[in-house]
Amino acid sequence: MIKIANAQLWVHDQDEALAFYTEKVGMEVRADVTVPELGNFRWLTVAPPGQPDFSIVLMAIPGPPVMDAETGEEVRNLMGKGFAGTIFLTTDDVHASYEELKGRGVDFSEQPEERPYGIDSAFRDPSGNNIRLTQVREMASV
Amino acid sequence: MADARYFEPLGVDDLACAAGLSRAHFSREFRRAFGESPHAYVLTRRLERAAALLRSTDRRVADICFSVGLRSVGSFTTSFTRVYGMSPTAYRAAFPPAARQAQIPTCVLRVFGRPQHRTFREDNGSGRA
Repeated sequence: MIKIANAQLWVHDQDEALAFYTEKVGMEVRADVTVPELGNFRWLTVAPPGQPDFSIVLMAIPGPPVMDAETGEEVRNLMGKGFAGTIFLTTDDVHASYEELKGRGVDFSEQPEERPYGIDSAFRDPSGNNIRLTQVREMASV
Repeated sequence: MADARYFEPLGVDDLACAAGLSRAHFSREFRRAFGESPHAYVLTRRLERAAALLRSTDRRVADICFSVGLRSVGSFTTSFTRVYGMSPTAYRAAFPPAARQAQIPTCVLRVFGRPQHRTFREDNGSGRA
């Protein structure tokens, strides 16, 4: 059986991203390992407390020769425009979560709004990645 | 709250306040519902997190102690040893190094696993990443 273990987000700065996801969004660090033999490659993952089997990999954009400078620049460009990746978070009370995160300094690009599927809001991480925070509507069983 | 915010310096008073109950009433009700005192529950939660961080990160023991919301490395080591039967350092040593769990992308491995080619005066030595 195939399951989702991790999904990766590119980040400009791993320390900055780690602080954002743990201190502002309220996630916890799951793995944080630096491997000196591999050019100080740092494997860094975060996830919400209480969701043990999935985590987000906060991956630094590698330089040459792993990724050439031009490609790195394209990735940074796409991130800046918010087209590099999106994380969809859910919460059981979007208004409470919105206030909580806003209180910690998260700058929302979309305030909670009614949609057919629930109440949806959005913000971006310090690298420009989109994060949606949604209270999904309970679908009545027909 | 105790599960989501264990890393803050959370006390029984904070939990009782969040539940809208007096400290004594909260402690009594909590114990009845969960079988242990709120203080013991939060400490267990912190020690579980610390154990996970010892297995899955290369952070220093002191950093791990502070990051789970405990303020004294000495009492952290004592509590940890009481619960896990060994010190945090010994616990970490009993598991494979955290670096082995890192799912390093093949492209990174390939680059660094490649034999380093050395040249004589053909470049200025800055060619290596």
